[in-house]
Amino acid sequence: MDRRTAMRQLAILTGGAALLPACDFSEESILDAYSNLNITASHEALIKKLTNTIFPGVHLVKAEEIQLEDFVLVMSNDCLNENQQQAFVKGLKKYNGFCKNHFDREFTSMGQKEAENAFIKSLEIEPGNGKEDVEAIHHFLATTKRFALQGYLNSEYFMTEIQPYELVPVRYIGSKKIEAS
Amino acid sequence: MANLNTKYKSENTYDAIVIGSGMSGGWAAKELTEKGLKTLVLERGREVIHNKDYPTTNMMPWEFEHRGMMPEAIKKENPVVSRCYAFKEDTQHFFVRDTEHPYVQDKPFDWIRGYQTGGKSLLWARQVQRWSNFDFEGPARDGFAVDWPIRYKDIAPWYSHVENFIGVSGNRDGKDNLPDGEFLPPFELSAGEKYFKEFLRANYPEREIVVARCAHITGNQEFYAKQGRGLCQNRTLCQRGCPFGGYFSSNSSTLPWAAKTGNLSMQHHAVVHSIIYDEVKGKASGVRVIDARTNEMSEYFAKVIFVNASALNTNLILLNSTSNRFPNGLGNDSGVLGRYMAFHNYRAGISGEFEGLKDYTTEGRRPTSGYFPRFRNVYKQETNFLRGYAAGFSASRSMVTDYSGIGADLEKGIMNPEYGPWRVGSHMMGETIPKEESQVSLDARQKDPWGIPLLRVSIDYDQNDEDMIKDYLVEMAEMFEAAGFKNIRTRDDKRAPGLDIHEMGGARMGHDPETSVLNKWNQVHACPNVYVTDGACMTSTSTQNPSLTYMAFAARAVDHAVKNMG
Repeated sequence: MDRRTAMRQLAILTGGAALLPACDFSEESILDAYSNLNITASHEALIKKLTNTIFPGVHLVKAEEIQLEDFVLVMSNDCLNENQQQAFVKGLKKYNGFCKNHFDREFTSMGQKEAENAFIKSLEIEPGNGKEDVEAIHHFLATTKRFALQGYLNSEYFMTEIQPYELVPVRYIGSKKIEAS
Repeated sequence: MANLNTKYKSENTYDAIVIGSGMSGGWAAKELTEKGLKTLVLERGREVIHNKDYPTTNMMPWEFEHRGMMPEAIKKENPVVSRCYAFKEDTQHFFVRDTEHPYVQDKPFDWIRGYQTGGKSLLWARQVQRWSNFDFEGPARDGFAVDWPIRYKDIAPWYSHVENFIGVSGNRDGKDNLPDGEFLPPFELSAGEKYFKEFLRANYPEREIVVARCAHITGNQEFYAKQGRGLCQNRTLCQRGCPFGGYFSSNSSTLPWAAKTGNLSMQHHAVVHSIIYDEVKGKASGVRVIDARTNEMSEYFAKVIFVNASALNTNLILLNSTSNRFPNGLGNDSGVLGRYMAFHNYRAGISGEFEGLKDYTTEGRRPTSGYFPRFRNVYKQETNFLRGYAAGFSASRSMVTDYSGIGADLEKGIMNPEYGPWRVGSHMMGETIPKEESQVSLDARQKDPWGIPLLRVSIDYDQNDEDMIKDYLVEMAEMFEAAGFKNIRTRDDKRAPGLDIHEMGGARMGHDPETSVLNKWNQVHACPNVYVTDGACMTSTSTQNPSLTYMAFAARAVDHAVKNMG
């Protein structure tokens, strides 16, 4: 019996209790802003921790200063197809537990360096014995980084202060000599 | 009651009616009103006024919630329009959604539509290459479709007439397979494109790339100021509607010009049901129009009717215009109406990198690209397939950034982008052969909310197209390799017909009423006060973008109509 079939049968036997890890028993309410994701404020906090880990504000501004966590969640809510969205949410809901298993601490409690290492190491962990959905974790982290990059590079901050976007260029130069810097 | 009817009739009577306000309808309206005809333009969609109804035109990239991407729910509900390259967060309000106006696909066909003032002229890619005599002589020489009833010399003055008014940026290249026109200053080829042009000159003397002619104002400002239009500012955000009027659209140019004559009336939400045929007088007397909002039907009358509803919708209207005289659709004695449709084959493309020209880059933005005129089978038949392909060609250089890390490393990478290689790319624009089995027809059962039959579309590729794709990929890859380009990748995206947005035919022009619907003046053979000057009139497709030719046909046909009005 493969893992998928085993899980399905277990789910039937226990009346769906096997799906419980994906549920949330805390008293936290679901965030209306991301209605397709079915997530709470602590999940949002995890995304914020991740985006701050990706853009900690050493050479540029920190992710939270441009509300990058909100962009990642808006995109995940609106622009992922069903399968991608399921994997993203699964990864999001399991990531703290995953980090506790592998790195002895929940991701949200880590310091910057520790969090950076955990992020990189998480992506290096091979899908293993089937207890953990490593693929969903990988998908979740990759998606978060992709949207974080997209949101950051297309933010008002970046497109005005770092690499100014020209709405009205008024020119095209086909052969522009590059000046040695 | 008789008085009421007379009043209704006189209030609803014009000299001319134009069905559709897009590229060619706008031109018909401009020419008719300038010549003093009271003209009613019927537009099935909503009103979009130049510079007033362009809600996204001055928005910054970060002001779009999804930074341009379309939400999954919209894509899932509207798979056809979502495949269009221009359907994005900033332009979506100018596209018809699949769910709004269904049609029946006997074979996959992506029908891209814009139902508003200006139609798709707001959204087009603004490419305006003239056809040459090789194109008009094609069917007769190669034995397909029927002979075009005109030649290049018949349309050349009308190309000039249109180009002068719309503003065309281009270089005089002196090529007989891509005739020069009335050009404003050209955009530049990039350094990479010039390199490839020189390479071709030295190694393939019969092949050349030029900068593509585009409907953008790059000079003669005083003249275009009379239209309220100004110089192109290189925004390349054209599909949002241009606040400068830098590119041509009906909205920015022909329609306001027509309105200034005082002879233009426009109605929006006006869905044309059919053309009314007067059996006694033996000609068309008007059109039946349904108000899209109230479902109320009205009739409008005129001496002459121009059908410019877009290629497929023009076929639909003609097929739905039945009478005792024309039981199978207006002017359809031959049974040809709705048949011999064709399109442009855009399936294949190629990309690569060029390590040379390290000291050069490009700067700013350009609303056009390089253009590779057809080189296959131009002077004589030389391959196992008929006709040939033109191609886009572009070379540009962008910055490359290391996005691999996270944290301080990533931030540092972003702060230190480097010049990457030149990226070169091309896509094919293949001529397809109009065939009897490529057709549109009316569904016998299903109707739209206004009681008009749904259009069934049955158009497909054939072996000629497959052979042409192979040839394009082999030839381009060979030239790319010989030019020293690396990492060459070819693609055939297997897209359905329609996504080229160059569907043509169905009411083709020809000498013989037995085998064509329109004569050499774009008049319906059997009902000469009806003119068709949009994509439906096309006998063959050439490889060149067709809008310029539709506009020239519209102006030429109006001239003929007015000269021959009793």
